This record gives sequence, structure tokens and C-alpha cells, in this order.
Amino acid sequence: MLTKKIKSRLFFILSVVFITLLFLIFVYFNLKQNILYFKTPSEIFKVDEIKINSKIRVGGMVKKDSIKQNNREIKFILTDYQKELIVVYNGAVPNLFSEERGAVVEGKLNDKRYLIADRILAKHDENYMPPEMKKILENAK
Amino acid sequence: MINEFLNMGGYGFYVWTSFLIVIAFCFLLYYKTKKTLQKYEREFAQELEKLPMKHRRKIARSSKVISSILASQNKLN
Amino acid sequence: MDFFSFGKIIVYIDKFIKFINSIFFLVLIIGLSFALIISPIDYLQGDTVRIMYVHVPSAWIGLSIFSMMAIGTLLNFVFKIKNLYLFVKSLAPIGLLFTCLSIVTGSLWGKPTWGTWWAWDARLTSMLILMLFYVFFIIAFKIFKESENLPKILSAISILGIVNIPIIKYSVEWWSTLHQPASIKILGSSSIHSSMLVPLFLMLLVLLLYCALIFLMKYKTEIIKIKKQNIKRL
Repeated sequence: MLTKKIKSRLFFILSVVFITLLFLIFVYFNLKQNILYFKTPSEIFKVDEIKINSKIRVGGMVKKDSIKQNNREIKFILTDYQKELIVVYNGAVPNLFSEERGAVVEGKLNDKRYLIADRILAKHDENYMPPEMKKILENAK
Repeated sequence: MINEFLNMGGYGFYVWTSFLIVIAFCFLLYYKTKKTLQKYEREFAQELEKLPMKHRRKIARSSKVISSILASQNKLN
Repeated sequence: MDFFSFGKIIVYIDKFIKFINSIFFLVLIIGLSFALIISPIDYLQGDTVRIMYVHVPSAWIGLSIFSMMAIGTLLNFVFKIKNLYLFVKSLAPIGLLFTCLSIVTGSLWGKPTWGTWWAWDARLTSMLILMLFYVFFIIAFKIFKESENLPKILSAISILGIVNIPIIKYSVEWWSTLHQPASIKILGSSSIHSSMLVPLFLMLLVLLLYCALIFLMKYKTEIIKIKKQNIKRL
């Protein structure tokens, strides 16, 4: 059924697939750390030595009732429900930034519990619904 | 009412730009594709003109591709 | 094989183009009025959620067209089916267009919600790589037009590119990304309220009809090009 020509072409394809897979594995193990867009507060806590002056991104939930704002800066606690991180930032926050919502902060660590941010991004989840629906859900809780 | 619709709760710029970009680029690709198709149809019809009359009529009847091209050419003229 | 002769195909193409032309504007107006007027706002994002109705279908189309092109290229390479080559060639520009559109509309959605136009997270970066593969594909078509090796080159691009497709799909689950996880799963329920699913699928229908229209016109152009080369032999 398969002629010699077709066999040789299939062989070509399989060899390209093989090389691609090798390449992919190589890239994956080299980029393993960089592929993650952000770390969680617990991961920060686990690291033995923190690099004080390098930029990192940390993601988590903004803890309820933790946002304290004065005219110079905003201070809040970022949590992954296991470890907490205090974040200080001055500048405008995105519209969707608020308590009990996801956020990603980018900045430099002062120590394991304290981060000075120079950028804040809001993260939202995959649920979309009209406001009335949300109210019904909240009342049902 | 209209203002409210255009304003989109303060996000008007983002919502309208994204819809307009999609519509504009889709139209652009459509226009380009249509022009290319018409160009090739016209060129084909011109090539066909060069053939002797008898031969032309014979193949116009036998080939569906050619009758389709000729039909759209007649529509344009 | 008679069904696949160019004569038969062109008759169907003409009929199909006519059909799409007759219903397209009606579907477009229904789709747009659902997407922009009738559908409700989101509890969290307000009106920006409407960008989803062009962003998500564009991304789906970008991904599925690349998969179709890659499979078509590989089958063409192994079995040498002329129609498949034309099929792949006609699909390429639509796929590139929608991949670019999904990136641009995503950027316009990211600014008001996340607070940034662009982030180098796994989902956004892998989508950018998909766009690059479309560009490679189209450049290869142009540069190696006459070359015997064209199918070989296209197959290599396809294989390299197709591994990127599952990476795009699952990037939001495997790694921490700024992009939110998928709302609509192939198996299982969706996390989008039904009043927002209607405009989403209507806009998908509009864009699919558009894709079909462009694809058919491109395919017809390719057939005419071939017939023109062979005109002396008719």
C-alpha cells in the first residue's frame, strides 16, 4: 500500500517531529523558571536567599480590609491564603484592583515579607455574568 | 441615550476601537481578495479572446470553470 | 475522484459565495446588535466584556485554522494531493488576520482590565509565536514558490508550529499567567452566563461565514491561476 516514496516522506516527518521534541524539552528545562509569570507569597517565603535588588513578580489575592491609602502611597497585603506579603506602591492602580480580587505586583523585595512595587496589574477570573446574576449568587451564599 | 451607548460606561474607546479594527481589517482583506480574483478572471477572459472562435465556443461549453469565469465577466461588463 | 475536479468545485464555490453574500449582512447586524446593545454588562468589568465577543472567536479561528493548515500540509507532503495544497494556501491569510486581531483586541481588553497593554506571560507569548509561524508559512509560500522543496519546508514549519497549539490552549492551566483560565471547556460547563454566550456564538458565526467567504474566493483564484497556465491545452 505504502510506496517507497511515501515511506521516505513519512521518515522525514518523523525525524522533524523527533528534533522538535528534543528542542522543546531543551527549551522547557532552560525556561522553567521564566515561564511562570509570577510567584506566590509562599514560594517567596521558601527561597533561602532573596535577591534584594532584582525585580520579581508576585501574584495573589488582596487581603480583605488590608488596603490602607494615604495621599502618597497605597499599602496592602497580598496573600495566597498561606503566607502573606506586605506591598507598598505609589501610583495609580488599575480599575479592577480591589480587596478580595487577584493582583500581580512587580517590584523589589525588601525582605521576605515586604515588597516595594513599581507596577500593579489586576487579575480577573474566568467567570462572566450580569450584575443581577452576581447578586442572586451572593444572596444564596 | 446615544451618548450613553457611545460612552460604554467609560470604556467606549477600548470597545469601539476593537470592534472598528476588526471590521476595518476584515473589509480590507475582503477588498484585496476580491480585486485579485477579478484581476485573474479578467486576464483569463482576455487569454480566451485570443483563441480561435470555434475552439473557444467548444471549450466554453465543456468546461465549468470557464463558464463560471465568463458569467462573472458578463456581469461586470 | 470526479467530485474533486475543478469544474465540479467551482460550481459549488459559486453557489456557496452567493449563499453567504445573501445572508451575511443579516447575520452581521443580528450579531453586532447582540454584542453591543442587547447583551448585559459584566458585574466586574462593565462594558469591556463586549471586547470578548470579537477577541475570543478571533483566537479560536486563529488556532483552528493553523491546525487545519498543518494537517493539510502534512497530508499533502505524504500523499501529494494538489487540492490540499490549494486549501492550505487559501487558508493562510485568514488565519494570520485573525491571530493578529485576537492579539490587538486582547491588548485593548487588557489595558482597562489588567492595567497593561502587554505582558510576557505564557499565553500571550505563545500566541505571538503562533503569529510568527503564520508569517513563516506565508513567507515560505512566496520565497520557495518554484522550489521542489516547498512541501518539505512547509511540513517542517507545520510540525514546529503545531506543538505550539496545545501550549497555547493549556498555558493558562500549566503555568501561572496574567491571562485568566479558559471559560468555555470542551468537556464540562462554561463559566460564562447564557446571556453572554448568545452574542459570543453569534459573533463566532459571523466571523466563520466571513472566513468561508474569503477562503472560497481565494480557492477560486487559485483554480483560475492553474487553468490559465493550462489554457493552451484546453
